Amino acid sequence: MITLTDFLLVGALLFCTGIYMIVSKRNSIQVLIGIELMLNAAILNLVAFGKYDKLNNGGQVFALFAIVLAAATTAVALAIILNVYRRYKTIDPDEIKNLRD
Amino acid sequence: MTLVRLLFYVMSFIAIASALYAALSKNLVRSIFIFFVTLFALAGLYVIALADFVAVTQVVIYVGGILVLILFAFMLSGKETLNVIQQQKGKFINMAKVPAVILAVLFLAVIVNIILKADADNLPWVKQAIAQNNEITPANSTIENIGVNLMTTYLLPFEAISVLLLMTLVGAAHLSRKEGSA
Amino acid sequence: MNNAISYTDPSIFCYAILAVALPLFAALINFCLPVKSKAAGWISTLAILVGCVLSAMVFAAVWNQQPQHVQTLWFTIGTTKVFAGILLNNLSVMMLLLVSLIALPVHIYSTAYMKHDDRYSRYFTYLSFFCFSMLGLVVVDSLVLFYAFWELVGFSSYLLIGFWFTKDKAVQANKKAFIMNRIGDIGLLSAIIIIFAKFHTFDIATLFINDNLVFKSVIHDGLWISASGQIPAVWQYVACIGVFMAVAAKSAQFPLHTWLPDAMEGPTSVSALIHAATMVAAGVFLLGRVYPLFTDSELTILGVIGCFTAFMAATIALTQNDLKRVLAYSTISQLGYMILAMGVGAYGSSLFHLATHAFFKCLLFLVAGVVIHEMQHIKEENNLDIDPQNIQYMGGLRKKLPVTFIAAVVGSLALIGIPLTSGYLSKDGILIQAFEWSEGRSAWLKLIPAGALFTSWLTAFYVSRLIVKVFFGEFRLLKKHPEIKLHISDGGWQYRVPLILLAICSLFPLFSLNPFFYEKAWLFESLKPAEFMARENIYHTIIPIGVNILSVFVMYAAYAIYVKRNTFSFPQTGFLYRLSYNQWYLDKIYRKAIVKPILGLGKTCFWFDRNVIDGLIHLIERSSRMVAALTAWSDKHIVDGFLHLMAALVQSIGNFARKFQNGKVQYYLYSMLLIVLILFVLKILI
Repeated sequence: MITLTDFLLVGALLFCTGIYMIVSKRNSIQVLIGIELMLNAAILNLVAFGKYDKLNNGGQVFALFAIVLAAATTAVALAIILNVYRRYKTIDPDEIKNLRD
Repeated sequence: MTLVRLLFYVMSFIAIASALYAALSKNLVRSIFIFFVTLFALAGLYVIALADFVAVTQVVIYVGGILVLILFAFMLSGKETLNVIQQQKGKFINMAKVPAVILAVLFLAVIVNIILKADADNLPWVKQAIAQNNEITPANSTIENIGVNLMTTYLLPFEAISVLLLMTLVGAAHLSRKEGSA
Repeated sequence: MNNAISYTDPSIFCYAILAVALPLFAALINFCLPVKSKAAGWISTLAILVGCVLSAMVFAAVWNQQPQHVQTLWFTIGTTKVFAGILLNNLSVMMLLLVSLIALPVHIYSTAYMKHDDRYSRYFTYLSFFCFSMLGLVVVDSLVLFYAFWELVGFSSYLLIGFWFTKDKAVQANKKAFIMNRIGDIGLLSAIIIIFAKFHTFDIATLFINDNLVFKSVIHDGLWISASGQIPAVWQYVACIGVFMAVAAKSAQFPLHTWLPDAMEGPTSVSALIHAATMVAAGVFLLGRVYPLFTDSELTILGVIGCFTAFMAATIALTQNDLKRVLAYSTISQLGYMILAMGVGAYGSSLFHLATHAFFKCLLFLVAGVVIHEMQHIKEENNLDIDPQNIQYMGGLRKKLPVTFIAAVVGSLALIGIPLTSGYLSKDGILIQAFEWSEGRSAWLKLIPAGALFTSWLTAFYVSRLIVKVFFGEFRLLKKHPEIKLHISDGGWQYRVPLILLAICSLFPLFSLNPFFYEKAWLFESLKPAEFMARENIYHTIIPIGVNILSVFVMYAAYAIYVKRNTFSFPQTGFLYRLSYNQWYLDKIYRKAIVKPILGLGKTCFWFDRNVIDGLIHLIERSSRMVAALTAWSDKHIVDGFLHLMAALVQSIGNFARKFQNGKVQYYLYSMLLIVLILFVLKILI
C-alpha cells in the first residue's frame, strides 16, 4: 500500500526543486517552470489527501481549481515576460530592476 | 512489493529526476522539454493516487496549454536570449547557485521533518475517513461525483474561477498588445 | 616723628628734602620730554640752582650746631622697627652744599657742552637723577637707605659712563665700572648686615653719632663686645673689610681702581661732576660716616693703602698722553690722599681735602672739556684722524684760550698745593698730620708720610707736564698739518662762567682768611677731632716750605724739559717708563688673573649647561615625546581603531541590509524564504 507520507515526500522533493529553480535561475521562463513545479507539488498533496474524501471530493476539486489557476497565472506571467522582453531586451530577472518611469 | 508500488516508485523517480534535470540544465529548451516528462510523471502519480480526472486535466491543461504557452513565450523572446543562456555553460556547480542549493536543501529538511512529525497516515480525520468508509478505493469512479460536487457544493468557487479566467484572458491580451497602439 | 632735638625750625628738613627731591622731579620731567628738547637743560639747571640755595640755607642753619635728626617709622619686621629719616650734621650739610655747588656750574657748562647731542634731554635726565642720588646719599640716616642711594649713584654713573653707548669703549668702560662697583656693593651690604646683626639698628645717628654704639663697643679676647651682646671679633674685621671694599670700589682705591680711568669715556662734564668731584668722594664720605667702626690697626691699613694708591696713581699719571686719563689718575692719587688722611686720623683734613679737591678737580676737568671740545672742533673742521684727547697734538693753546688757560693754571696750582690756593691748605694739613702721626711709630710706618711727600712732588711734575704740553710751546698739530685752520675760542658764557666760578672757589679765601695755615680754615676747624694737636710741632713749618720749594723746582724742571729743550725726552723703553705707561700692568693682570678665569668658568658653565643640563632636558623632552608618540599611536590605532571598527561594523550591517533592497526579485524571494525557513527551524526547535 502506498502511504500518504510517500506522496508527501515526493511532493516535498518537487517543491524544493521548484524553490531552487525560482531562486537560482537567470531566465524568467525557467523561473516560471519552477513555479509550475511548486504548484504541481501542491496539487500532488491535494490529490493525495483527497483520497480520504470520497463524498465531497474536496481535494480533487481544489486540485482542478489549482490547475486552472496555474494556467491563468501562466498566461498572465508569459504576457508579462513578453512585455518585459520588449522593453529590456532580456528576461533575466536580475536585470529588471527599474520601475517604469 | 505490489505492481502499484513499483509503478509509484518508477513514477516518483521519473518525476523527481526530470524535475532536477530541468532545474540543473542550463539549456532552456531542454529544460522546457524535460518539464513535459515531469508533468506526465506527475499525471501518472495522480492516477496512482486514485485521481484519474485530475490526471487527465493535468495532461490536457498543463501539457496541452501551459507548455505550449511557454514554448511560444520562449520563441517570442528571441534568439539573443537563447544565445546568452547557452553561453552560461560551464562548471556544473556554480558558486552563485550555492546559496540557492542550501536554501532548497534546508527547506527540504524542514518539510521532511514536518511530514515525519505529522505522521500523516495516522491523522485523526484520515483515520475517521477510513473508519467511515469515506476512502476512495480503486473500484470507485470519482468523475461523476466530481461533476455533481462542482455544480453543487463548489459552485461559488467554480463561478469565481470562470470570472477569473475571463479576466486573465482580457488581461493577457491587454498586456501582450503592442505598445502605443492602444 | 621723633623730634629728639626739636629746638630747630622744622622747615630745615623741608628745605633739605626739597633740595634732594628737586633734581628727581627735574629728572622725571626731562624723562617725559622729547629727547632733543632744549628745555631739559634749563629745567635741570633751575632745579639744581634752587637746590643749591636751599642747601646753603640748610648749611647756614646746621653748620657748627647740634646735629639735626628727624625720622619716621618706615616698616616693621617682627619686633624690629626700621626708621627712615634725615640726619643733618656738619658732615652731611657740608656734602649737601658741596654737591649742589659743584653740580650747578657743571649743569650750566653741560647746556653748552652737550648742545649738539642727539639725546640732550636724556643726558639731563641722567644728570639730575645722579644729583638726586648723591644728595640723597649724603642726608639719609639709615644704612638701608644709604645702601639704596649708594646703588642709585652707581647706577646713574653707569648710565652716564655709557651715555655714548654706540662707542664700544664706552660700553666696555661702563660694564667695567659697574662690575667693579658691584664688588664694593657686596662689601657694603655685608658690612651693613653685620652691623645690624650686632647692634640691631640701621640708624646712623644711633650707631655713630648720638649714642655712638660702635665707638663704645670693644674688641676683647677674640670677642666683639657691646651693650647689645657679643659676637666673635672676626665679624668686626669682616665688616671693616666690607666697608673698605665699598670705599675702594667707589673711590677707586688700589685693588679696585682700574674702572675710573676707563670711566673717562663718558662726557667730560660727567667726568667732572661724577668721576672727579662728587661720586668718587662718596667712598670718603662713607668712611667719614662709619669712622668709629675702624680700630687703630685697621686705620693703619687704610693709611697704607691710601698712600700706596696715591703714589701708584701719580707715577702712572706721569706718562699718560690722554688728557682725561692724566686727570683721572690724578683723581685716584688725590683720593688716595684722603684715604691716607682718614687712616692717619686726620679726619678733618681728609674731608677738607675732599671739599677743596672737588672744586679744583672739577675745574680741571671742565678745562679739559673745553680743550677737548676745541680739538674735536678742529678735527671735524679739517677732517683729521686724531684723538682729540691726546696731549701730544696740543700746545700753545694759552693764546687761543686765555680764560681756560688761567682757570687751568689756578686748578693746577691748587692741585700741586702752592700757597694761596685751597689745595695748599688741605694737602699740607694731610702731610703735616701724617708726619705727626708717624712720630713714635715703627720705621716702616714712617714710609707713609714720606710716600705722601714724594707723591706731592710727582703731582707737581705731572700737572706741570700736562699744563706745559697743552698750553705752552707751539701747537704741535699745526706743525704736523700746517694747512689746517684754527677757529677756536673759550666759548660762550656757559663755558666761561663755570670756569671762573670754580677758579675763584679754588683759591684760599673761600676756606680761610689766612692763606698759609690750614688749621685756621673754618671748614677744618669745624671738622677737626677733639684731640687735635696744637701748632707746636716742627713739621708745621718745615713741611709746607720743603714741599713748596721743591714743587716749584719740579715745575720749572717740567717746563724746562717740555718747552725749552723740546728735544729731551724720557727714555721710552725703560722698565719704569713701561711700568708707568702701562698703568703698572694692573689691567693686564686683572685680565689674566680674574677676567680670563671667570670667562673660562663662564664658558665651562656654558658648556656644562649646554651639554649636561640641556642634554638632560633633551633626554626628558625626548622621553616625553616618546611617551606622547606612544599615546598618539595607541590613540590612533586602539581608540580610533575601535571607532573605525564600530563604523565598519555599522557600515557592513548597513551594506548587508542594503543588499536585500537591490531591486532583484529573486533576492527578495530568497530573503523571504530564508525567513520562513528560520521561522520553521525555530518552530521545530522550540
